[in-house]
Amino acid sequence: MKRHPRPGLALGASALGAGFLLLMAPATEAAKTPVYAITKARVLTATGAVIENATVVLSDGLVMDVGPNAAIPRDARVFDGSGLTITPGLIDAFSGAGMPAPRSSGGGPGAGGPAASPAPDPIAPTSNIYELLKASEALKARDSGVTTIVPIPREGLVHGAAAVMNLAGDQPESMVVKANIALAASMATLRQRYPGSLMGVVAFFRQALIDGSFHHAEVAAYEKAPSGRKRPAFDPGLDVWAQVASGTLPLMLQTPRIGDLRRAFALADEFKIKLVLAGNTQAFEEIALLKERKPALLVSVNYDPPRVGGFFGGSDDDKTRAEIEKAEKNPAALEEEGVRFALVSGFATDFLAGIRKAIEKGLPREAALRAVTLTPAEILGVADRMGSLEKGKIANVVVWSGEPFAKESKVKMVFVDGELYEPEEKPAGPPGGGGATPPGEERGDSARRTGEVK
Amino acid sequence: MEVLNLKHASFAFAALALLAAPRDAAAQDTVTAITNAKIMTVGPAGNIENGTILIQDGKITAVGAEVAAPAGATVIDASGRVVTPGLIDAHSHTAVEDGVNECTHIVTAEVRVTDALDPRDISIYRQLAGGVTAANVLHGSCNSIGGQNATIKMRWGAPSGDTLLFQGAPPGIKFALGENPKRSSFRGTTPRYPATRMGVEVSIRNAFLEAKAYKKEWDDYEAAAKAASMVKKGVRSATPPTLPRAPRKNLQMEALKEILEGKRLVHAHSYRADEILMLINVADEMGFKIATFQHVLEGYKVATEIAKHGAGASTFSDWWAYKMEAYDAIPYNAAIMAGHGVVVSVNSDSDELARRLYWEAAKTVRYGGVSEDEAFKMVTINPARQLRIDKWVGSIEVGKDADLAIFKSHPFAPDTRVEMTLVDGKVMFDRSKDVAARTGVAATLGGGQ
Repeated sequence: MKRHPRPGLALGASALGAGFLLLMAPATEAAKTPVYAITKARVLTATGAVIENATVVLSDGLVMDVGPNAAIPRDARVFDGSGLTITPGLIDAFSGAGMPAPRSSGGGPGAGGPAASPAPDPIAPTSNIYELLKASEALKARDSGVTTIVPIPREGLVHGAAAVMNLAGDQPESMVVKANIALAASMATLRQRYPGSLMGVVAFFRQALIDGSFHHAEVAAYEKAPSGRKRPAFDPGLDVWAQVASGTLPLMLQTPRIGDLRRAFALADEFKIKLVLAGNTQAFEEIALLKERKPALLVSVNYDPPRVGGFFGGSDDDKTRAEIEKAEKNPAALEEEGVRFALVSGFATDFLAGIRKAIEKGLPREAALRAVTLTPAEILGVADRMGSLEKGKIANVVVWSGEPFAKESKVKMVFVDGELYEPEEKPAGPPGGGGATPPGEERGDSARRTGEVK
Repeated sequence: MEVLNLKHASFAFAALALLAAPRDAAAQDTVTAITNAKIMTVGPAGNIENGTILIQDGKITAVGAEVAAPAGATVIDASGRVVTPGLIDAHSHTAVEDGVNECTHIVTAEVRVTDALDPRDISIYRQLAGGVTAANVLHGSCNSIGGQNATIKMRWGAPSGDTLLFQGAPPGIKFALGENPKRSSFRGTTPRYPATRMGVEVSIRNAFLEAKAYKKEWDDYEAAAKAASMVKKGVRSATPPTLPRAPRKNLQMEALKEILEGKRLVHAHSYRADEILMLINVADEMGFKIATFQHVLEGYKVATEIAKHGAGASTFSDWWAYKMEAYDAIPYNAAIMAGHGVVVSVNSDSDELARRLYWEAAKTVRYGGVSEDEAFKMVTINPARQLRIDKWVGSIEVGKDADLAIFKSHPFAPDTRVEMTLVDGKVMFDRSKDVAARTGVAATLGGGQ
């Protein structure tokens, strides 16, 4: 199967109507992503800069130029960006978009559930998570201005290799921007098989890291002097753990409980692992610790995740409500204390609503923008190619009808790898809203032809 | 394993030091004096009708009728009150987050309760309100050989689970016999070996046979490594100095190896006399000791054998017939075992019961005619001895930790209650403050429920 280097292209070209092709000044060859220029817009670069009345030029999937004096290429499709705001595409560094639905919907052992397909192995260090992605489902995240995701399975203990993926294209492989950025895992328990308890989970990780290191040393010793030695068994799973144990492959670990932060740090100290901590809706409780350790922190806006049921004692509604309220204030509290973090959807169905809630509870808007663009790019090791609106970076760009994340503000256009996508207008919008001009008057089928000014 | 434990310990120490630093700096040399108290020392000094206890840096520095509070001391006037050592619960599952059982395997010696401790658990505070200052937090009884215990102090609100740990307490492990490990009452769940008492026995024996082989592998390696290093140093010149490669570290086997080396205390959940004898036989055969039998409801039938093995017994006061293997339980159990020379404690196994452990101990006075002082030992110095922490806690003696409970009246009196509880000399529970806080809470709730 042929893998196109610029995946979205085939789809884009075919979906674009003939009328559009006619409008393009010189006949570009089919293999090239169109050149776009958005003029007179307000640009938030996510590096802190706000550029008024600026032009953004996207060409061949890259940001060609940004600024008030950016030259507009002759072959560009030009959009009037008056009244619009442009930001880098949102990066959701911990997303359920396009991932399989959870099998166990909270039912008891063996009880209920239509699940007929065999259960995926909950401990799968050698799996590539991107292979599980259903592209058409994942692409829906663009409606929220998300251009890049790190998809994570909703269930299991050790998910496999995490990848940074751009939301353009129809094949998971071609969407991958950077593969194998971390081994994704969770501190959730498995209940029906080992480890079925939190203490079992910690014991599991500890032994896996010991085994990985041991295997690594065995193989190294053998490679040094194979003659006269029994060859160690090939074990790709242990190879993965060896990379984690030596710190060459980060462990992206879901830490759902407050105490999990300390548990994760204890493992990191014991084995020198590099951590990316995900979840942490109550992280503010450990501010001092976070300031001291400065971890790579992914903070979920899924303020009301499913609760972990304990053996003793049931749920306490008042406590739960209080926890949700605290979780909503969590990003603001972290920001105020200068803790660096990225906001992630953490399987929440509405990422934008979560970000908006954090802002409502005191997270400054600029901080929110950085927390879903440049900071996750830095944490994921891709800030050299995305995360801010700068010349040379991948053309992952969002055009908003107004202030990003504001309730009345709409995602007008999304560029991923330079490919234009225009979300459909939701009919529920308040009448007379918007104010800003052209794009997306139509709704219904492909809105790609709308919004053209020139 | 050794290294890991040391690591844990040093981390906890560091955390403690951090915590303690500002307090010490502010209150250096400040003495706390508990005055005008009736003191049940549970130590050689016996009961003191009217005395004073001095506390400094978390330790008891003086106790007696003649002791005077120095000038500048923080005085806690205990007129009319009874001061006792903090109570110790030899069987607890408190403050364990997300599962006290790793039920999935028959042997789970590698899991550690320490990893799942939650220092924010409100149960800790509630137990402080019952005068409890230390507990043996055990893994559940799902497995013939369960997880590693955590001996904790009730330092509620400590930043991390490690901060709860009782420094110096030797590590322990949970064993379980009978209905729970054979899953008799859990037929609906996923079936798991073993399903019989025979199976429980053989699973323990098999685990130790494996552990012995593992221990030999490591002993051989360490001997060879030592020999090789001696050759290297020129002390010996026999074999070529090829350093052997270390075997793979198996954390489950490490824990069992520690049991064989006498470094890890076995706390064995047990009910029936036959299974108690079975475990003694297996222990003798494999070469390890049982530190305590837990629950041990038929212990009275085999008290001589338990005493001969040197095991302690930690039992319920008068709970019986809640399952088949508990039918032969009698409330005289503690008294009879004590009468045969067994070190006996009375435990809670429950966050709720732990708040009135003193009354549980009192029942041995009614059933078996144990003296009040001996009965009170069953929740103080006896569990301390069973957990090998008696040089620090369990009685009020100079040099021991200032872990104290201040009762309204004698701890066995029907109207008694705990007024104040101190851990490491720090007031961790104060009923007057608690009561005051309640009105505040009631006000915010709009006048109570």
